[in-house]
Amino acid sequence: MGRRRRLVDPAAKAGAGALPEVIAALSRSLPAGPSPEIFRRAKFDRPEAAPALWRLLFRLLSPLSADGASPTLAQEAQASLVKSALRSQGYPRLALAQLPEDGSRGSRELLLALSWLLARAPLPERLLAQAHVQLGDEMPVCECEALASPGPWALHVEAEGPVDIRCVQWLMGRLRFRWRCLTASQQEQCTLLSKIHLYTRGCHSDRSLGHLSVAETEMLRDPEGGQQVGGQGRGPQWSTARQALQEAVEQELAALRWAWEQDRGPARPHGPHRLVRLGDEAPGGQYLRAAEVIQALKSQEACLEAALRRLQGQCRQELARLAGALPGLIWILPPRR
Amino acid sequence: MLPAGCSRRLVAELRGALDACAERQLQLEQSLRVSRRLLRAWEPAGTLAPEPPPGPETKEEDPSPACTPSSQDLKELELLTQALEKAVWVRKGISKAGGRHKAPSLKSGFFATSPGTTASTPPWAPGQTGSHASEAKLSRGIHQTTVPAKGHPEHRLPSAEHRARVGVEARAARPGPGLRDQDVAPLAAPQAPEAFTLKEKGSLLQLPAAFRKAASQNSRLWAQLSSAQPRDSTDATATAKTQFLQKMQTASGRPGPVLSAVEVEAEVGRLQEACSLLRLRMREELSAGPTDWMQEYRGLLTLEGLQAIARQCLHRLQELRAALAEQPLGPCPVGRPSRASLPCGGGTGSSWSPQLLLYSSTQELQTLAALRLRVAMLDQQMHLEKVLMAELLPLVSSQELPSLALCRAVHSLLCEGGEHFLTILHDDPAD
Repeated sequence: MGRRRRLVDPAAKAGAGALPEVIAALSRSLPAGPSPEIFRRAKFDRPEAAPALWRLLFRLLSPLSADGASPTLAQEAQASLVKSALRSQGYPRLALAQLPEDGSRGSRELLLALSWLLARAPLPERLLAQAHVQLGDEMPVCECEALASPGPWALHVEAEGPVDIRCVQWLMGRLRFRWRCLTASQQEQCTLLSKIHLYTRGCHSDRSLGHLSVAETEMLRDPEGGQQVGGQGRGPQWSTARQALQEAVEQELAALRWAWEQDRGPARPHGPHRLVRLGDEAPGGQYLRAAEVIQALKSQEACLEAALRRLQGQCRQELARLAGALPGLIWILPPRR
Repeated sequence: MLPAGCSRRLVAELRGALDACAERQLQLEQSLRVSRRLLRAWEPAGTLAPEPPPGPETKEEDPSPACTPSSQDLKELELLTQALEKAVWVRKGISKAGGRHKAPSLKSGFFATSPGTTASTPPWAPGQTGSHASEAKLSRGIHQTTVPAKGHPEHRLPSAEHRARVGVEARAARPGPGLRDQDVAPLAAPQAPEAFTLKEKGSLLQLPAAFRKAASQNSRLWAQLSSAQPRDSTDATATAKTQFLQKMQTASGRPGPVLSAVEVEAEVGRLQEACSLLRLRMREELSAGPTDWMQEYRGLLTLEGLQAIARQCLHRLQELRAALAEQPLGPCPVGRPSRASLPCGGGTGSSWSPQLLLYSSTQELQTLAALRLRVAMLDQQMHLEKVLMAELLPLVSSQELPSLALCRAVHSLLCEGGEHFLTILHDDPAD
């Protein structure tokens, strides 16, 4: 008990006594975590520690949490991406940008960069929350990583040469087809999930959950082988009525602000949540209702659709202008849906 | 042909989007496999036949150049072909007398094509879950034509070997491999007496004691972790962190950017969303006809409030612009999206263990999942739209006489999401 407490609260103990334990814990919990020896060597700016730290930073900064999504990127490419990611996050020191990308030196600067990242955000906790064993059927309520493109972080086969516009159209069509497949598969998965939850009602030892998740059911099958604000009423007198109206409008507008101000005000829910089918009794503790999330998503959908239509409208105008410069042609636009 | 740089960038972006979709699809298919297996009758341990291997569309991207079809494309083409064949079959079946039993046409359809070609396997739309009925029909059909001498099919299987074969048959969720051996005695679903189905006996399951112990220990540890958090924020560690960050800032010698590129982009994104929402709300308000003066007053208050917010957003935007003008920021390399600078770890401050999300019906769950996907796809589409605009509009405007095919393609891509096309006619003077 004493040891555990020490691990959880190392900062309370000033002094170098607790440091080796902290480093060891960090080394174990970070993905692609370097050994404590690497940290020690980096403190003395030993060149051999540099490649491991470049890899660690790459792993921490790449947007996909995926299991080794980009194992094949070369050292130089990784280092270059790490540099620009840190710069865009506002890393203050120029020394990092000047480091050679071949990993031949700079371990101390990299160690500083790692410390900077750790000081700015609760990195270990986030990584832990990401990597935890999923006992339940989890669904993220934010869309931070829903269809995140790997972008420059993944290895892409370069196109052989210039392509025709029809190739672009074809790729776009493929993408639309994949969207359709995703939607269909997703619907099917929801149906199956719902059935499994329904059929295993009453089994869970934790009463607040009520039913098993797919992971838990699978484990049993094969043990070997997881508000919104409302309006207000009105008073009989004009002054009270007016006040009530004002409050109502203010609350409405506040809710509107909340819809886009993600980092300020009430925190918007993020991350994975365990799906639970509503039983006869509501579970204790904190929980989100699907209806709330659906509302938030609907407003986001509306925003995005409006923005997309606006962009498309801009393009239409621009192209019409260019078409005007080509005489002797009639442009018949496709009918509006 | 598009210029080389433009080609490269466009193809890279689209391939990135395609990869993201493929990965999501893979995850979904894995979950689907597991879920389907759970809802079928559970095989007794020991006769588990291996799962059909996942399709060739695994992580390896096609090494071929962008425009030659890859294995993933072939698979998609297969699916399309099967869907089309089914449509044809349905249409044929309907055009023949409707009352006739479908089995003969199904049989003839099946044997008209050799079983070797996967593209012409019996048509049924992929992704259909409750397809046991059609499986049964199919299997019975095969049996009746191939093994007439054996007489009536047996519904009880004596030997474990047959049961294993039946397991394979029932498991052949994708057409192809399971139908190669036509002399196997196929059955719809194993009717063995000990078959366990989740539907009938699911509520009798019980989690093993060891698991329960581990799960409660797990939640205890999470609780311990989250209780340690608030202390950290008021502790000496918080001040130590801030001091460290400040030292880093001053040691670099630069006054330091007030905002990083990521933050600026995030804020601009928020302001755009704000603008959209404000516009929507304003339109709603303007189009609603007030029935009495109370409502009209409320509408007035709302519009005034919206105007105030809009003014604040505009002010903020101007601040950002001024700040950017002073200090040029480096390029932002993060692929997509740049909303979360670090991977989204979840949790709202105090608790890091996954919280609960309650749903009340299948419909609600489907709506939720569909909306999530829709928002993600719209996000992708927006990003692609911006990229396409940046690459294609300059191209078309820079050319003296752009080819009509190019104009048509660009219009379709930029203005119709690639779904519709315009028509261009020569304006010949009427004779």
